[in-house]
Amino acid sequence: MGRQLKFHIFRYNPEDTNSVPRTDDFYLEETESMTLFIALTRIREEQDPSLQFDFCCRAGICGSCAMVINGRPGLACKTLTRDLPAEITLMPLPVFKLIGDLSVDTGTWFRSMNEKVGSWIHNDEAFDPDAQEERMDNALAEEIYELERCVECGCCVAACGTANMREDFVGAVALNRIARFMLDPRDRRGEKEYFEVIGTDEGVFGCMGLLACEDVCPKELPLQDQLGILRRKMGWSALKRLFRVK
Amino acid sequence: MAIDTTIYVRAPSGASAYLDGLQMLTGAGLILFMWSHMILVASVNLGPGAMNTIARFFEDTYMVQVGGPMIGLTFLLHFVLAARKVPFRVEQQSTIWKHSRMLRHTDTWLWLVQASTAMVILIMGSIHMWTVLTDLPITAAKSAARIQGGFWLVFYLILLPMVELHVGIGFYRIAVKWGLIGRKRRKGFKRFENILTVIFILIGLITIVRFMTLST
Amino acid sequence: MDTELADLLCIGAGLAGERVAIEAASCGFKAICLSIVPPRRSHSSAAQGGMQASLGNCAMGAGDNQDIHFQDTVKGSDWGCDQEVARLFVETAPRAVREMAFWGIPWNRVVPGKSAFFKGGKEYEKVEPKENKGLITARDFGGTAKWRTCYTSDGTGHTLLYTMDNKVVELGVAVHDRMEAISLIHDGETCTGVVARCLKTGRLKAYLARATLIATGGYGKIYKESTNAVINDGGGAIIALDTGVVPFGNPEAIQFHPTGIVPTNILVTEGCRGDGGTLLDVNEKRFMPDYEPEKAELASRDVVSRWMIHHIREGCGVKSPYGDHLWLDIRHLGERHIKTKLREVEEICNNFLGIDPVTQLIPVRPAQHYSMGGVKTNKDGAAYGLKGLFSAGEASCWDMHGFNRLGGNSLAETVVAGKIVGEKIAEFLKGYDVQFKTASVKDVADRVQERLERRISGKDGGESAFEVRNAMQDELMERVSIFRNGKDLEKAVENLQGIYERSKRVGLRSNGIGASPELALALKIQGMLRLAICVAYAALKRTESRGCHAREDYEARNDRDWLNRTLATWKEGEDLPTLNYEPASGVLEIPPGDRGYGVSKIITRDGETTGA
Ligand SMILES: Cc1cc2nc3c(=O)[nH]c(=O)nc-3n(C[C@H](O)[C@H](O)[C@H](O)COP(=O)(O)OP(=O)(O)OC[C@H]3O[C@@H](n4cnc5c(N)ncnc54)[C@H](O)[C@@H]3O)c2cc1C
Ligand code: HEM
Ligand code: HEM
Ligand code: SF4
Ligand code: F3S
Ligand code: FES
Repeated sequence: MGRQLKFHIFRYNPEDTNSVPRTDDFYLEETESMTLFIALTRIREEQDPSLQFDFCCRAGICGSCAMVINGRPGLACKTLTRDLPAEITLMPLPVFKLIGDLSVDTGTWFRSMNEKVGSWIHNDEAFDPDAQEERMDNALAEEIYELERCVECGCCVAACGTANMREDFVGAVALNRIARFMLDPRDRRGEKEYFEVIGTDEGVFGCMGLLACEDVCPKELPLQDQLGILRRKMGWSALKRLFRVK
Repeated sequence: MAIDTTIYVRAPSGASAYLDGLQMLTGAGLILFMWSHMILVASVNLGPGAMNTIARFFEDTYMVQVGGPMIGLTFLLHFVLAARKVPFRVEQQSTIWKHSRMLRHTDTWLWLVQASTAMVILIMGSIHMWTVLTDLPITAAKSAARIQGGFWLVFYLILLPMVELHVGIGFYRIAVKWGLIGRKRRKGFKRFENILTVIFILIGLITIVRFMTLST
Repeated sequence: MDTELADLLCIGAGLAGERVAIEAASCGFKAICLSIVPPRRSHSSAAQGGMQASLGNCAMGAGDNQDIHFQDTVKGSDWGCDQEVARLFVETAPRAVREMAFWGIPWNRVVPGKSAFFKGGKEYEKVEPKENKGLITARDFGGTAKWRTCYTSDGTGHTLLYTMDNKVVELGVAVHDRMEAISLIHDGETCTGVVARCLKTGRLKAYLARATLIATGGYGKIYKESTNAVINDGGGAIIALDTGVVPFGNPEAIQFHPTGIVPTNILVTEGCRGDGGTLLDVNEKRFMPDYEPEKAELASRDVVSRWMIHHIREGCGVKSPYGDHLWLDIRHLGERHIKTKLREVEEICNNFLGIDPVTQLIPVRPAQHYSMGGVKTNKDGAAYGLKGLFSAGEASCWDMHGFNRLGGNSLAETVVAGKIVGEKIAEFLKGYDVQFKTASVKDVADRVQERLERRISGKDGGESAFEVRNAMQDELMERVSIFRNGKDLEKAVENLQGIYERSKRVGLRSNGIGASPELALALKIQGMLRLAICVAYAALKRTESRGCHAREDYEARNDRDWLNRTLATWKEGEDLPTLNYEPASGVLEIPPGDRGYGVSKIITRDGETTGA
């Protein structure tokens, strides 16, 4: 009764000297509430056990399963096949290193991104186990959480033309991360420190405002707004520096 | 960590920020100029007299003689700044081309349009400015004669949409890049901007037709 | 073969593994974490509800303290926990929460003034005290006397894990992701690392370490319907069982969660019920108050799960192509509440079911959720049986959960145990030296290599790894789930042994080159079956009902004969585990009594029968 779905899937196993980049076709009958997680798992178990792809939480939480779905980066586990046409083309995310088929190495990329932007609370004080916690306004906590919802899926990076052209561009995800720490009073970094990290062409001034990041982010993070805020802040910071009497 | 293990200290430089800011400012300046320019030239629609009077005014106050080359400089400066972003290497070009085709995402396409119209504008705009500025004064009659010659008609028919697209997209881009337009207002603003572009192209076309029909 | 040296090797980079690594690294030791997925993708990120610590800052948590948390935990465990460990846990939890706040968690905070909350479908009002403005607040969770569950909207596990990994990055602790531990290196007395397989290239790699920690999380994926991630297939449990000397504690203690959505088993948080969501049956009638008049939907999750299955068996379930289910109703909480406090739930419903919980009912049924059992350790986190081997987090049986863990206690366990075990490991490392024997490394590596080649060549047969796994999952789901009885369990053990034989004959269909997902499964399927048999066999032997272990043929909790903990080991060459028992707790600060909810038939230690 369900539709006959046709999958065009990119195939290549770099570890296998006999493997060449190509596209394989698979057919599957659609069932109710079928997600790409269900479909791909079935293809692997019933048709081709060598097919590589990544799923972990299968609930849109962990960011493992990002791939290019009919041209758009997205999370496969939260894509219902009923929202797609009967022909579905699946490709691995660009920018990241290919591991095989639909699987790419996001781990290495994100670790180095986190190192580059110093993705942690910078604070020289020692934790006092007996003291009450520092107070924080609930509204601020929620604001920080709003930006912390990023799952490092890499969709925004893969969708960004700048990141595709220029390897050294940190991408919207990194800029959003900095925005998160800027909000946080526990992080003692000042404007100057932040500027050093992102006030460059690899950082916020490299962004050309393509906004694909904003449009594909599966967690709907407010990337456009954060990029705008950062650009203004960093611009101000540079202006102030220009007019500062040395 | 308490111990700083970095072995070199990069002198914090504002270069990228200044260049980006300047790119935006030159862009914005050119937008303002182009809007005024289009309206000034379109004044011919009110009659050749109107255009001549305005042109005379600008020349008598030396705004054309001084402003013209200034615009030319801004134009060049903007080109130099924006060129930093244009993919000149074949490899990058093919990357962004494939990427845009895959993504089918309007704003990414718009950037490609912006970058490619820029190249046309660079060449045609320079020729145009040179022609007009070395043949002062500006009069409706001279303009009409040029356009009725045929070559300039084709020339403007190409340049006009290129410029308007570039300007329109640039306007939108400045607004979203600098956060003047937030995510909630983006869609509406884009519509507004599209309409604006169409209106300017229409005015331009009408102007060209008017030049065509103006008896010299 | 590539070899890497470390002071501490953490197998697992979820909350528990990373917390331990941080402690060791802070003391100057070299720690390396292994993980199947990039660390931030570990399943800790899926926990939405929150973590328990008795801060007592919010109005409904006023007066809370460690003793009350302790009581809740012990009662929740149905007296199956180690009370010394539970005590240690509740004492450290508040400090652990504050430390995480210091490291950057945006915990939700107390907002002074009046606000409304729902409980069991009714609206009440509370007033948050002014003087606590901005302190860490808490929400209600099943099975607790006070509001004690600290949270960040619906992403507590996510923020905890990101903050934890931030700390790991800050300290420069190496995490080798896509590196799966395949076998422990040991000589029967001392553990000195693992042989792992790289899931990028397929190559083997040896890690030699003075201390090794198993923090591989839950193993729910031996069941068909589970809220666990697809990688939660018991890797850590398997390599521990494989040693033949490290006992596995309480394998039969498996918890089911009442509200997995149908059909994908994605969990909708307990917070739904905590905030006032209700359960409805086919007639859209609320049924929990009939079974649990006082706590209703907020009774502990095993109780709720059991009544749900019971109600479905009574014929009150909603028919669907995926089997019968019930409804979860949160419509009355209102759009604003759902869109802010329960946003992830809303997203789940939209994305995976295509329904809007503001106006529609959510199809739910119980699914496997948490494994209380695990690698048995002492209170310092040191595994029984092998020196230099430790365990923490869901993979371990530390054992503060006994036969039922409370919602919110497991996230807390990962950071609390992580901290404590980390300190103990640092102490251990200070005065400890060990000889790495090249012979035993080579021995293990050779054996793994041989196993790998046999699977690829198909020398032992051509059974499909996927089919064998599916057969096992179905069997456990069918006969070793919420309601258990001797007949079914016996059948299950017998069937599982048959499937175990098949697992020995698994051969690949693909060429096994590179990461090869098929090979990864083929390498552990036998271990998964051993684990499954341990669960079924231990459940068969435990002839009582305790916590989530509910026997239809032994309805009473039997403190006379079963106030103990199962210890399962698997001797090489055997086809059944060896079961030993130890007392559940060395100290009984709170003597066994009534849990206060659920069926309360108890055979006391004196042999008297009380309750219904
Ligand atoms: C859907 C869901 C919701 C939950 N909600 C809550 C809640 O609200 N409150 C609460 O307190 N608890 C909750 N829990 C339970 C809690 O999240 C987990 O018990 C806890 O996070 C486990 O943490 P962990 O560090 O032990 O394991 P995990 O976070 O699962 O990490 C395991 C790590 O081990 C690695 N690993 C596994 N096998 C191997 C191998 N063979 N080799 C190398 N690495 C390996 C993995 O890659 C991963 O890094 C929930 C659980 C689920 C499934
Ligand atoms: C009348 C002439 C021109 C006008 C009005 C104009 C206007 C603009 C504006 C407003 C922007 C957006 C600026 C920003 O995003 O910061 C822009 C961007 C750009 N312009 Fe022009 N421009 C003109 C001529 C040119 C020329 C001659 C070039 C030649 C190369 C050029 C190349 C570009 C490029 C590549 C961008 C994109 C830069 C980016 O995305 O960061 N423009 N232009
Ligand atoms: C100071 C510099 C400029 C002056 C004085 C000037 C003047 C004029 C004049 C007089 C005309 C009428 C046609 C003609 O005489 O040939 C004209 C038309 C035109 N100009 Fe310019 N121009 C200037 C700069 C530019 C620039 C930088 C651009 C774009 C890159 C541009 C684009 C056009 C176009 C597209 C038309 C056709 C107008 C229409 O269709 O309405 N001009 N300009
Ligand atoms: S910002 Fe969005 S798209 Fe980018 S990594 Fe985070 S969740 Fe993914
Ligand atoms: S797509 Fe890329 S260019 Fe900027 S707005 Fe987003 S980062
Ligand atoms: S599998 Fe975790 S986001 Fe898709």
